[in-house]
Amino acid sequence: MIELLNNQLTFRFPEVHQKAVCSIDFQRTLRIPDDNREYPLPPGLGRFPVEHVDDFADKLPKAWQRHGGVFIPMYQSEALWINFSGLYPCAVKIAAGKINAVSGEAWSNGLSDNPQDYAVIPEQPWLDGFNVSEGFIRQFVAMPLGEGFTAEEQITGAAEHGGLQIIVYPMKHNVYVEHFERVMGADLGELDMVCMESRVYESVPDMGLAPGGLMRQQIYEDEYGIDAWDQDNGFRCFIHLANSAQYLAITGHQPPHKPPTANDYTSAGLPWFDYYSDSKVLSGSDKLGKLTSVAAKVIEKGKGLLPDNEPVHPKTVKIISKGNVVRDGKF
Amino acid sequence: MSFGKYIRKQREALKSKDRRFSVRQVAQRIGVEPAYLSKIERGDVAPPSEAKIRALADELGEDADVLLAMAGKVSSDLQAIIRKRPQLFADLIRQLKSVPDHALLRIARDVRDGDW
Repeated sequence: MIELLNNQLTFRFPEVHQKAVCSIDFQRTLRIPDDNREYPLPPGLGRFPVEHVDDFADKLPKAWQRHGGVFIPMYQSEALWINFSGLYPCAVKIAAGKINAVSGEAWSNGLSDNPQDYAVIPEQPWLDGFNVSEGFIRQFVAMPLGEGFTAEEQITGAAEHGGLQIIVYPMKHNVYVEHFERVMGADLGELDMVCMESRVYESVPDMGLAPGGLMRQQIYEDEYGIDAWDQDNGFRCFIHLANSAQYLAITGHQPPHKPPTANDYTSAGLPWFDYYSDSKVLSGSDKLGKLTSVAAKVIEKGKGLLPDNEPVHPKTVKIISKGNVVRDGKF
Repeated sequence: MSFGKYIRKQREALKSKDRRFSVRQVAQRIGVEPAYLSKIERGDVAPPSEAKIRALADELGEDADVLLAMAGKVSSDLQAIIRKRPQLFADLIRQLKSVPDHALLRIARDVRDGDW
C-alpha cells in the first residue's frame, strides 16, 4: 500500500517483510543554470505539498481521476528532486511523462536490467533529473505540456501524459534475509487539503518535466541483480503536476512561494552539495543524452534567453556521503 | 528511554558526523537557550512545548508524533480530531489498541492507483 502523510509517499509491503518500507518525497529546489556547465547538487528547500487526487476529484480533469494518485503544485520553470528514504532495499522506477528517467525508454511496469531502468534504494539517496551521461543528469524542470520542452514530447512527439510516474518493488523476502538478517540482524528502526470555486479543470494544461541544467549526479548499478526484486509485489503512483495558480483554485491552499534563484542562493553564501559513493555507476541513456535542454529550446524557438539563467560559481560545496545525506538549504 | 535521553542520543549521533548538531547550534536553530536544551536532555526540566518538540523533530530528522508521545503529549491536531467526535474516536482507539500493526495499516488510507 501507499500512504500519504506529511507530504510524503510511504510504500509498505507487509506481505513481503515487516521491514519492507520506503518513503518518497518531492523536494523544492532552485533551478540550476542551464548553460552546459556542470553544477553540484542544489539544496532541498522543503517538501512540495502533495494532495490526493480523490480529495478534489470533482474539480480535476477526468484523466487525472482515471490515473488516481496524487498531485503537487509547481511553477513553470521550477525544479524538483526526488528524495528516497528507507533502509529496506527497494527498486524504484521513475518516469516523467511515462519516459523512464534512467533509461529513456517508454514506461513499462516491470524492471529491466538491460539497460538497467531503475534505481536501488537506499544506495540511491535521490534523483534530480534525467540520466543523460555517466555521472551526469539534467535537472527535472516543470514546463507546460504542448510547447515541446518536455522529455516526453521530445522523445515521442506527443504531449499525452505529463506528470511523474513511480513504481516501487521491494527486495524479495528470502534475498533480504540472506543479505541482511543472517549477516547482522539489521536494525531498521521506525520509518517512517477548501474549494474557492467549483470550476472543473477539465482542460488543465498539464505540466511535464523537461531537461534543465547539467548536474553531477551518479545513478548506481544494481549490486543485487534483477532477480533480487519481488516484482509480484510492486506499488505504483501517478504524480500529477498542477501549475501553482490551478493548485490554489483547486485546493484553496496557497502553493509555496517561488524558490530563490541559483544566483540569489549562491550570493547568500549558502551551500551546494556533492555526494560520494564507491558504488558502480550506470552509463547515461543515449535517448536522454540527445534531449535539448530548456534554455537551448528557448533559443531554438527564437524566444530570447531563459530568465534567471546566469552562471553561478558555488563557493560552498559540502561533501556528503552514505549515512549523512542531509541536503537542506535554509533560505 | 526518557525523552531527554533519547534527544541527547540522537543529537550526539548526528553531531559525530556534523558539528552543526552541537547543543548550542541545535538550541539556536529551534529558538531556545543552550542551557535549557541541556536541562531537557538531562531530564532536569519537563519536555518543552509541542512547537519546540516539532522543531526538534524537524531538526533531528525524527517523527514528531513519536517524540510527542515520548514527552507524554498528544499532537494538537490529533486532539482537535478527537474533540470533534470524542465518543466515536475514544471507542475506536480502545477497540484498536491490541490490533497488530499490519492490520492497523490496512485501515490507513491508501493512495489509489488508477489506469495509466
